[in-house]
This record gives sequence, structure tokens and C-alpha cells, in this order.
Amino acid sequence: FRFKDSLAEDLQSADLVISHAGAGSCLETLEKGKPLIVVINDKLMDNHQLELAKQLHRDGYVLYCNCSTLVETLQSMDLSTLKPFPPGQPEKFALFLDTVFGFQ
Amino acid sequence: AGGHTTEILRLLSCLSESYSPRHYVLADSDKMSEAKIRSFEQKRAETFSESQFTLDRIPRSREVRQSWISSVVTTLYSIVYSLPLTYKRQPDLILCNGPGTCVPICISAFLLGLLRIKRTIIVYVESICRVETLSLSGKILYYFSDYFIVQWPDLKRKYPKSVYLGRVV
Repeated sequence: FRFKDSLAEDLQSADLVISHAGAGSCLETLEKGKPLIVVINDKLMDNHQLELAKQLHRDGYVLYCNCSTLVETLQSMDLSTLKPFPPGQPEKFALFLDTVFGFQ
Repeated sequence: AGGHTTEILRLLSCLSESYSPRHYVLADSDKMSEAKIRSFEQKRAETFSESQFTLDRIPRSREVRQSWISSVVTTLYSIVYSLPLTYKRQPDLILCNGPGTCVPICISAFLLGLLRIKRTIIVYVESICRVETLSLSGKILYYFSDYFIVQWPDLKRKYPKSVYLGRVV
């Protein structure tokens, strides 16, 4: 898998995704509406990567565990508790910039 | 690079043709962004036929986890390298979102502003990954940018001069 250009196809056909806490992976998965379990590697993890995973978990969009608790999580998970992830709104940004420059 | 490029292209996705021509600046070591940018611009040209863009590369200002002292040296070098590029393009707006590459460009634009050569508006959008803390680029550009946009409320609280629009990417 490592060197595939895009996982989009695989994502599309998946029922459940288990991923590391990388922002790209998390967001891409959530945007496709797939349930996601984020696995934190305490030893390798760059602190800032954790921020997003933690927040997504707090907001109820992902499940969260570490390598040693993964099996337990898979056994006891209830995916229906996950909330749908609303898309970002670049149009709000465009509107903001238009206001700055006086384009309306 | 990578995530930053994806984010910035999303930011650009709803902009009108008033924001044209677009000048992209990449790190010389960035291998993947060029393809993403060209693909984005190609799609855009389907709707806006007069669409124009350029692509330039500058030396990477800092490698991940590079030491402080050598980072200052490499960043200074990148700033000096960026000055002629920024002078040539004289952008009305610089839009950036966090890779080290953006710092020298913004600082060079800031300097050109101080020298009364060109006043550029600098808009920085912190990455969606930054929920509780700012990136190093963010910490620096919080002081040099005209508008500093954050995507999570915690950061708005910590950095009151920032703008919070919710998640924009």
C-alpha cells in the first residue's frame, strides 16, 4: 500500500477505517463519511498531530485508541455513536477576502 | 508541501477571478505540490478561460526538526533569495497557510512594504491541524500578517487578534 498515489478508491469501498492520527488521513476519511478509529502511537507521535485527533474525538467524529487497546476497541465499539462530519466552508473564506478587498 | 497544498487549494476553490493572476511559490524540494496545483488550475481554466498562474521555487527555509541556529541562517538565506521574486511579482495579496516556505516570502513582502516599494496584504490561514497551538510559521506571522485566520475557537481565545471563521477547508 505504501506507495499508492491515492487511497481514494480503497476508502470509497471501505466500511471501517483504522488509521494513524495524520490530519490528511483523518479528514479524507471523515469527508467520505466512513467510520474512523484513530490509533495513537505514543512513542512516535508528534504532539501536534494529536491535537486534531483529540478534537475530532471530543466532537464525536472518531473513535480513539492506542496500539495496545485496538483489539478491545474493535470488540466493543459502537459506530452509531459517531456523528457525521460536516464539510469545511471555503466559501466563508472567499466572502471574508472579498470584504477585505471590497469586492462584492 | 502535502497537506498544506491541499488546504490552500481548497481555500482558493471559491475565489472569484478577481484573484488573478495567481503566483504559486514552492520549496525546491517539494515534489508533489506542482502536480496538484497544475491539476487545480487546469480545472479552473475550464470555467474561467482567462485564468493565469505562475509557479516559482525557492530554497526550503527549514527542514523538520532542524536546529534553531541553522534555521535562522537558512531562513535568512531564503529571505534574501525571495526578495527579487517578491519584487518581481509585487503581489497585492499573499495567501499562505503555514509551511516554512511562506515565512521568507511574507517577510520579504513586509520589507518591501517598509521600503514603500509595494504594500502587500498578507493573509495567513493556520492549518486545520492546529487546534490548540500555532505552528512555528504561525507564531512568527501572527505579528507580520494583516489578517490571521484560525480554524478552531481555542486559538481565537489564545490569539485575540486572529479571525475565526470556523473550518474553512
